[in-house]
Amino acid sequence: MSSSTAKCPYSGTQAAGTAAAVPVPQPLRSPGGVSEAPVAHWLDVEGLAADPYAAYARLRAESPVAWVPKLNKFLVTSYGGCHGIEQDQETFSANVSGSTMNRAIGAQPMLRKDDPEHAIDRAPINPVLRPKSIKEAWAPVFARNAETYLDALEDKGPGHADLNTDYAAPLASKNLIDLLGLLDADVDQVRRWSHDFIAGMGNVLDDPGIWARCDASTADADALLAELIPFYRKNPDASLVSALANSGLPVEDVAANTKLAISGGLNEPQHMVTNMVWALSRHPAQREAVLADPALWAAAFDETVRWQSPIGMYPRQATRDTVLEGVAIPAGAGIGVVVASANRDQSWFGPGAEDFDIHRPKRPHLAFGAGVHLCAGHWAAKSAIGQIAVPKAYERFGSLRVDEQRAESWGGWVFRGLSSLPVTWN
Amino acid sequence: MPTITFTQPDGSEQVLQVADGTTLMRAAVSNGVDGIVGECGGQAMCATCHVYVRPEYARSLPEITEDEDEMLDCTTAARTDASRLGCQVAVGPTLGAIVVDVPADQV
Ligand code: HEM
Ligand code: FES
Repeated sequence: MSSSTAKCPYSGTQAAGTAAAVPVPQPLRSPGGVSEAPVAHWLDVEGLAADPYAAYARLRAESPVAWVPKLNKFLVTSYGGCHGIEQDQETFSANVSGSTMNRAIGAQPMLRKDDPEHAIDRAPINPVLRPKSIKEAWAPVFARNAETYLDALEDKGPGHADLNTDYAAPLASKNLIDLLGLLDADVDQVRRWSHDFIAGMGNVLDDPGIWARCDASTADADALLAELIPFYRKNPDASLVSALANSGLPVEDVAANTKLAISGGLNEPQHMVTNMVWALSRHPAQREAVLADPALWAAAFDETVRWQSPIGMYPRQATRDTVLEGVAIPAGAGIGVVVASANRDQSWFGPGAEDFDIHRPKRPHLAFGAGVHLCAGHWAAKSAIGQIAVPKAYERFGSLRVDEQRAESWGGWVFRGLSSLPVTWN
Repeated sequence: MPTITFTQPDGSEQVLQVADGTTLMRAAVSNGVDGIVGECGGQAMCATCHVYVRPEYARSLPEITEDEDEMLDCTTAARTDASRLGCQVAVGPTLGAIVVDVPADQV
């Protein structure tokens, strides 16, 4: 028996073995009665951004597959429903029509393709993002970047520091610049690109100002890639753009997938830094436990991403008439997969699903999606944030906590996070 | 049709008959076998499809690739000489039957 789990950068971090094997959620299609979708007229879509969780609880209880006229979509809020969608990409396609994502970044990235096309784009980046490459090539870089921005946070001082603006935001940007290999790009520039692409992806109302900013950032990023692609063909390294440049993919696909990673690889890690400190500040006993036993950082990361999922909802489209959890869904219908709600489903996580508990029995959650589109950067995020950025912040400031004297600010539901988190220390 | 037998930690067994070319992970996930998650859909990116293959079938298995080897270091239950990723082993003409043990922990 060669037990070699110790080589994994993330092992030793799991909560001690929970007894039972992981049960599988209920089958997707109920054999029994099929009903018309309930309509959630009551749902205040504009109000979700302030705090969506009470509305999610009501949706799960009353109509876990509901038609929401204001969104022109079905919202699926149960764990079983969301998980079932991810297991069947032939019925639930990621190639949604009228995709603002394709418009925003100028071509169709892997996240808007189904297999087998999706796999052609995805395969070259997987080796860059598996645990070994993350540990050997990138963890030292993530650690150096964390120290740099902890210095900046320290300079601000405990009366003025904002964990989002002074640490999480520039750190997430610098980590992404390095991992992608965006040589010479600066932290504010890549934050602006990411912001503009995401705004474009959400521009369902076709606001021309949003398109103008998005197109300008796309042009900037494309100009940089026009230099980087030939450079990395001559000088390959461990970065993501290097892997894409040497994959044989056409330049347009290299560029689209790089811009996808710029859009999806910045805000979520940034939000996870602040979410973890926010959650631990509100749960002092758990904070003490993790500071006393660093092996618990993995559980702290995992529980935070479940409890406050940075990506709350992502889209799919039905390719044929189907039945999901007993509800008829017609071909062509748009579907919102509300993973932030699935991640609090009591029928999957038990009666304490709404609570933050790093000691809960381990269960798969959907904060990184599931199936072939499972987040490509999930090992990178676990390492950069869960093992490095947040533990190092507590190493530097043992008494780091939310500063109750100054206001914090949460927002969003499709993407949700803190835009400001004042912190202090002794 | 090839058969796959999944044995749970409590000793209970599930025998599945599946088409040639089906991976152990896909067979388990589509048939509701407890304890196989298959989070990444079979890309050797998650290690939540870990199984222990009974030694008598070891010789009929495909070689472990570098990617699989790396991911096997990240299984939640301890890796042993019998460990494989269920998504990297398919049944078919050279592997007509297989018996695997499902680990107690997958995440
Ligand atoms: C905690 C941080 C993160 C969270 C919560 C997160 C979440 C997600 C989710 C939910 C998806 C699936 C979306 C869907 O299926 O429609 C996804 C996909 C993706 N993520 Fe992340 N992500 C994070 C960090 C990163 C990072 C750091 C990168 C940078 C490399 C990244 C790159 C990607 C890519 C390329 C995809 C598309 C994968 C595909 O289509 O096969 N993510 N992410
Ligand atoms: S299903 Fe993810 S590694 Fe096998």
